[in-house]
Amino acid sequence: MNDAIEISNLKYRYHDGTEALRDVSLRVEPGECVGLIGPNGSGKSTLLLHLNGILPEKISADGAVKIFGGSITAKNLETIRRQVGLVFQDPDDQLFCPTVQEDVAFGPQQLGLSETDVAARVHRALEQVGLHGFDHRATHHLSYGEKRRACLAGVLACEPKILVLDEPTSDLDPRGRREFKALLREIPATKLIATHDLEMVVELCSRAIVLDRGAVIADGPVAELLGDEALMLAHGLERPHILWHRHPH
Amino acid sequence: MSVNFLHDHSRVESPVHRLPAALKLFAALTIVLTTVLLPRTQFTGLAVIAAILIVVVILSRLAVLFLLKRLLLLEPLVIGVAVLMLFQPDGVRVFLGILFKTNLCLLTTILLSSTTPFTEMLRVLKQLHVPWLMVSTLTLMHRYLFVLADEAERMRRARASRTFTRRKRFQWRTLSTVAGQLFIRASERAERIYDAMCARGWK
Repeated sequence: MNDAIEISNLKYRYHDGTEALRDVSLRVEPGECVGLIGPNGSGKSTLLLHLNGILPEKISADGAVKIFGGSITAKNLETIRRQVGLVFQDPDDQLFCPTVQEDVAFGPQQLGLSETDVAARVHRALEQVGLHGFDHRATHHLSYGEKRRACLAGVLACEPKILVLDEPTSDLDPRGRREFKALLREIPATKLIATHDLEMVVELCSRAIVLDRGAVIADGPVAELLGDEALMLAHGLERPHILWHRHPH
Repeated sequence: MSVNFLHDHSRVESPVHRLPAALKLFAALTIVLTTVLLPRTQFTGLAVIAAILIVVVILSRLAVLFLLKRLLLLEPLVIGVAVLMLFQPDGVRVFLGILFKTNLCLLTTILLSSTTPFTEMLRVLKQLHVPWLMVSTLTLMHRYLFVLADEAERMRRARASRTFTRRKRFQWRTLSTVAGQLFIRASERAERIYDAMCARGWK
């Protein structure tokens, strides 16, 4: 079986010359949940933008990124974007429709589904993230936690096979964080989560990848990697508390 | 990821770039005013101005293609207005005259903005006692133009991630929604900025 995500020797340089990704190679198997960790500016977000062809601006034919065995090309971009659901860090970037219902329907509407099917998907997605009854609320008047959920609903409604999340728990209150993690755990899709929330990585992921200065530093089982204090401190991270004294919650 | 659509010129270094901003502003204003006031029949005068501008272009070491692109970007507006002239007697000549004069003025302003950092220009305006309200409006505009452009770019990416169709009509409709949202956000941001300014004692 093909890897869900396969990246080999990916490089990327921004217009201003900043080398965001120097040489990234990694793979994610179907059904896996992988945590992508690393300091600010290590290239996590840039890497995520490569997974559905938002970057590079001009899609190259080198096939550095493969989704289920297939390279991203200009031709299959729509298919790739249907398979890879990207949840952005700032919910305000993602919610651009006036109401929650319209925003969640945005993806499904393009799949050629009937109106009733779109409505059913919207209903299901909102139910799934716990925003039942929020259909007609204005997106810019939601609380931050609600915005996050609405974003996730918008992506889930497209039923992606791979879910890519950029800092899904940042700026959430402890309850919001807990609930969002529980929500993610229930989603069966392959998941790649870029985050600074190391406790979430311990709780949700089986494997972690450390990225620093645009290169993969380490890749291995969560407990092993995050328990390595020297490694964590060397790359702007820390050994999460939860690993010091594991106790049932 | 930051948008640098206004900063293409900052890497170029030339005698024109080094001239004092006040001098450049004054020269540009003079050229624009002269061009506007010269009668269309004064071809020699206009030709002299064109020659001066060409010399400045060469001295400024700016890429000619870059200048042409900027000029081309504004051309629809120019032609849109100039076309109206075709409906009067001897229209073609008036049309060409206006086209030529407007482009000279545009080239002058493009040259000025491409060789002078905007912050320098603001400083000069302040020194010249241009009304304070106007200068601070321009300052804020310059500061937040980039923030807004960045925001628009991030929104574009998020939208593209959920776009699986190439249907043009759908994309146009989406674009109108986005434009509307950008307006709302800009005004809300303006409120927040104003609040933040007040919080630090601005009156």
